[in-house]
Amino acid sequence: MSEEILKALMQLFAIIAKQDTGLSKSERDYVENFLRHQLNESSVKEYLDLFDFYINEGDFTSSEQSKQSDSSKTLEIAEKINNTLDKKQKIVVLVRLFEFVNSDKNLTPQRISIIKNTADIFNICNEEYKAIDTFILEDAPDKLDIKEILFIESGDKELNKAKRIQYPYLEGTIIVLKISSANLYFLRYTSNKELLLNGLPINNNRVYLLARGSVIKQPKGMPIFYTDIVSSFRSDETSVKIHFKAENIYYEFPDDGNIGLNEINIEEESGKMLGILGASGAGKTTLLNIISGIEKPTIGKVSINGIDLHKNINSVKGIIGHIPQDDLLIEELTVYENLYYSTKLVYKDLSDKEIKKKAEKILFNLGLLHIKDLKVGNPLNIEISGGQRKRLNIGLELIREPSVLFVDEPTSGLSSNDSANVMELLRELTVRGKLIFVVIHQPSSEIFKMFDNITILDEGGYQIYYGNPIEAVIYFKELDNQIDSHVGECPSCGSLNPETIFSIIESKIIDEYGQPTVSRKTSAPEWFEHFKEKISIKRVTKFYDKLPHSFKKPNWLNQFKVYFKRDLLTKISNKQYLALNLLEAPLLAFLLAFIIKYIEDPTSNLYIFRDNDNIMPYIFMCTIVALFLGLIVSAEEIFKDKKILKRESFLNLSRSSYLCSKIGILFIISAIQSFSFVLIGNYILEIKGMNFEYFIMFFSIAAFANILGLNISSAFNSAITIYIIIPFLIIPQMILTGAMFNFDKINSVIGGGDEKVPIIAEFVPSRWAFEGLVVNQYKNNKYYKNFYNKRKLESELYYKNVYYITELKRYVEDYKNRKSSGHEKPISKDNLQLLRNEIKKEKQSKFSLYHDYKFEQLDKLYIKKFNPKIAEQLYEYLDNIHDFYNRRFNHVNKTIDDIISDKTRTPEKRKEYLKLKNSYHNKYLSDFVKNKMAPLPLVRLGNNLVQKINPIYLNPPKENLFNIRSHFLAPKKHFAGNYYDTFYFNLIILWLMTIVLYITLYFKILTKLIYYIENGIPILNQKIWKMRIKLINFLTKKTGI
Amino acid sequence: MKENKTYKLLFFASFLLCIFLLNNCGPDKREDTSKLLKEQKTDKDIDISKDKVGQMISSVPNPVEMSSLLQKSDIIYSHELLNPEDNIDNYKTNFKKALNLGVYGTNLVYMNIYDRTVGTLPYLRNVRRLADDLRIGKFFDYETLNKLSESSRNVDSVLYITNRGFDDMTRYLIEQNRSDIAVLIAYGTWIESLYLATHVKTLPPNKDLIHQRIGEQKLVLHNMLLLLNNYRSSDNEKCKHNELFEDLLKLKDEFDKVSIEYIYQDPIMKNFKNHIVVVDKSTSKVNINQETIDNIAKQVKYIRNKIIK
Repeated sequence: MSEEILKALMQLFAIIAKQDTGLSKSERDYVENFLRHQLNESSVKEYLDLFDFYINEGDFTSSEQSKQSDSSKTLEIAEKINNTLDKKQKIVVLVRLFEFVNSDKNLTPQRISIIKNTADIFNICNEEYKAIDTFILEDAPDKLDIKEILFIESGDKELNKAKRIQYPYLEGTIIVLKISSANLYFLRYTSNKELLLNGLPINNNRVYLLARGSVIKQPKGMPIFYTDIVSSFRSDETSVKIHFKAENIYYEFPDDGNIGLNEINIEEESGKMLGILGASGAGKTTLLNIISGIEKPTIGKVSINGIDLHKNINSVKGIIGHIPQDDLLIEELTVYENLYYSTKLVYKDLSDKEIKKKAEKILFNLGLLHIKDLKVGNPLNIEISGGQRKRLNIGLELIREPSVLFVDEPTSGLSSNDSANVMELLRELTVRGKLIFVVIHQPSSEIFKMFDNITILDEGGYQIYYGNPIEAVIYFKELDNQIDSHVGECPSCGSLNPETIFSIIESKIIDEYGQPTVSRKTSAPEWFEHFKEKISIKRVTKFYDKLPHSFKKPNWLNQFKVYFKRDLLTKISNKQYLALNLLEAPLLAFLLAFIIKYIEDPTSNLYIFRDNDNIMPYIFMCTIVALFLGLIVSAEEIFKDKKILKRESFLNLSRSSYLCSKIGILFIISAIQSFSFVLIGNYILEIKGMNFEYFIMFFSIAAFANILGLNISSAFNSAITIYIIIPFLIIPQMILTGAMFNFDKINSVIGGGDEKVPIIAEFVPSRWAFEGLVVNQYKNNKYYKNFYNKRKLESELYYKNVYYITELKRYVEDYKNRKSSGHEKPISKDNLQLLRNEIKKEKQSKFSLYHDYKFEQLDKLYIKKFNPKIAEQLYEYLDNIHDFYNRRFNHVNKTIDDIISDKTRTPEKRKEYLKLKNSYHNKYLSDFVKNKMAPLPLVRLGNNLVQKINPIYLNPPKENLFNIRSHFLAPKKHFAGNYYDTFYFNLIILWLMTIVLYITLYFKILTKLIYYIENGIPILNQKIWKMRIKLINFLTKKTGI
Repeated sequence: MKENKTYKLLFFASFLLCIFLLNNCGPDKREDTSKLLKEQKTDKDIDISKDKVGQMISSVPNPVEMSSLLQKSDIIYSHELLNPEDNIDNYKTNFKKALNLGVYGTNLVYMNIYDRTVGTLPYLRNVRRLADDLRIGKFFDYETLNKLSESSRNVDSVLYITNRGFDDMTRYLIEQNRSDIAVLIAYGTWIESLYLATHVKTLPPNKDLIHQRIGEQKLVLHNMLLLLNNYRSSDNEKCKHNELFEDLLKLKDEFDKVSIEYIYQDPIMKNFKNHIVVVDKSTSKVNINQETIDNIAKQVKYIRNKIIK
């Protein structure tokens, strides 16, 4: 009790005492007694002096005047302390005042009116005032029969409104008062027989505040828990009854076939708490996972109100809560925020205010309200204590009020005090009709007794006990033939040691030297036999109530909003993360661009974009940096949330809204990174007029990497694996981008030197991004975009003129020469095939529309039909088109030349032209896209000729409608009969890849794949298992062993 | 279900975006180049035959000839006479590129003959770039030349390959009906040789040989005028050959003061640094005075500086 209350009480006591008859002996005794209960000896004296001082303040005349001043003084004091006391304290003060008045039964109207005034100022409602009045001043049972009161007695008189708990052998009555508004319970005991409240004797003329977790106990017999009292008050509140049943649960571990659980049976109903006990490795957590529906039993069935849990997990999920052993908290958020966002995800209809209220109420009930604004932190960086974390964990589950709660080792790592608190909390829940399963390793006596039932598992997953915890001790003692085996708990102190059970179960055979051996006296199967023989599980009434929808989840968009906000808050609160992420990109951009800002002329200080040899590598680095940043930022995202997701999986929330919120935040980060990188990099390198394209491509590849990162973070189960995976994802992309290694000069097994980009590189996003950027940089810059089309035409004509037609003519000339020298086989089948292919292409080419030369004898280009006459015709045709190409090339070449001379006619114009060219056209990039380093301008692949130079000027052929593949650095891409600009086409491909990755992410395809790789496919496994058994049987028969 | 609806919406939106992007950026909105492919009547070629052009161009003295003469006459190498390597950025049109291809080619030969192999790399690169731009780069074996230029022992091979490259280019251009370019390259080569010969700083005792060689160029000048005449056009604005022609006419005025007595003799092959060079054995007596030389030098310098600008 705080100083303020005590001081206020002293003052109020004094004022009341001064009324009418003045202070009586019993009143002063009460005050002294009261203080003695609250304080130590020295402080008692201090407060008693204070009391006496207040008494003597005024004189003892009971004149009207002094009465007047007393009541005004009361008001003054009451008003003064009104602001400093909370609701609970006010109630306590009021109760104490009544008690004080009642101490000598001197109930004058004046005294009562002072109390009444105080109550008014405290804003205590009339009903509760009356209830307190009745509770303290009345003794007759019929007057006490009001709804705020509970009787604990051995009798069973009829009651109208009050509640009753039957407590055998109790003399007198324990009367309990409930003040709902403050959630307080007071009790008094009418007899002077020995009764202990929390181990201290109860004085029959005092009123006690029943603290949470209190235990009332007679010297012998069962204790009454605070929760029993609370539940009695609530017994009229209806809730759906739950009937839980697990039948013959049998479980084999999938990896090695070892038996994990052996014929486990459980049957429970609402309002019970079942403890699952056993030595380490006995299968407690496995059992919990199975009965909570996380894992499937090999044989057996778990049902809730008749609904098979494993078959209809989705219809039951909502009413199940699972609190695993680890914390499922978001470390970066505060205690309150953790709870707030969980609540938001669960309740659709509540307003923010209501949710706030609800969260605060839960925090209050958990005793966490005072730390609500502390960050949760992680175990290494402690902000709140272990017990508080555990309680918050439980709170997160409690807020949605699941009907069945599974708790794994709630007390591990907690102090005994914290453990008791946590268990108390769970115990309280049963009062509200929850069914709770708790796995616990080594409960203390106090905790052990809190369970309604326990089940004990022994090595190998045998169930060896099921039933009342105290009787468990008796059961095992009896089986062990111990003396006083009928006594469950210590008769004098009421405590019992659960350890005795385990020491009996695991006791070892003693050898002849008195040393314990490794073998047990009674093996697990033997205990199991005893169990089957002696204990039958108490059948509980079956309910088939419809399962409640314990919460209404918000819709997709609202879930998205909550996830998004929560994630954003998490990120923002981590300053280091935020700063690094935002600074990383611009710093890297600066580093990269500054280092590669190359001035070709060693005597000059003037940077010229055109002469910078590093633009192509810069673009390449852009894609790799984007990939890297995108991956790094996302690679741990889902993994980090894994625990939280596990909890939220019981909420049946939309996975897509979760993923989209993640993606949304990652995209925002990536967009900022892309923007800053491109802006700084391009500014330093003076890449002009391309910022948007660079940004959008950089962002797209980062977005792809984001989702790739989410995939791996959802599939792999440790941070280290994830970071080992990253090089595997990045390095192949670097190799297959086409920047570092020319596709013409890589291993031909994977398609090096082919007409098109190697298939493997088609799946490399950095390739698409790089190609898109390079092509765009080359052909769409301000200088070159006006020339590109003409240059393209010139290049096409040049290629035909100089290489292609010349090469075709060579084949025909060869034939003619060989024929005239009487060669037996003047031309090979393949060469004819090549001529056929190429001339067919030539006839279909766009150029064929512009000349009249025809060769109509394609069908004669076969070994048998080919003859010198045809050859002559073919040669003439080739010669003609050769001429045509030559003329057209000269014309186009001249036209371009004319344009350029026009643009450079005067010195000013020339200067301007040069400036434009210098700042937009990079000559090294130009060499790259023209494949200047190609060993051959054209190559023969099979029976086709393939152009290798000037890929930037070559449109891919329209082979079939949906062929999107092309050679590297094609200026346009083909799809469905049309050509599309490479940049945008590649961009779309990138996003399609991203969408595919989203789908694999949504359906956890990678996770499943990894699971199958690790564990094999289940059906196959079963087959292998069966075959193994057959083999063993066969061998046993054969060898007779 | 609501979720389903959201998906449909998302899918639809992304589909629309794709369509938009493709339509917006797909079809080329830039100008149509197809009209360039249509045959036009203006594509006429010159009147004289390809063979004739080839002959006339081959009459232009090989740069090796003039440079080796200078070297043998103990004339000091002067780098500042060469066209600065940086000038290449000024050449935007085929006209300029072709002329300067000749100029740089001559410079390259000059440097090689004087064993200045170390500094040749930029000139080699320039020659390649101009050749590439003129779409005749495939005749110029840059890689080999680059390798050879690492050591001065390979000068002969370098000269051989360079010469062959220029010959191949000329032949190819004529064959491809681009003799105008071939003529310009020859012109550049010739003017540069002449420039190097007329701008010798200190004349050696046997200056007569050089003077005689300069005087002999009167014949070449005649051929050049004939060639250029073919490419003249009535449109002064468009045709730059006109300007060359006129400048050349002014040079002709000076050369007219030179008189040559010509005695024909069969040319013979001669071994020059293990390389066969055709040497004109016709003897001729050139009458030229110092004043004419000076005037020729002035005019050559004017023309040459116009070219390399």
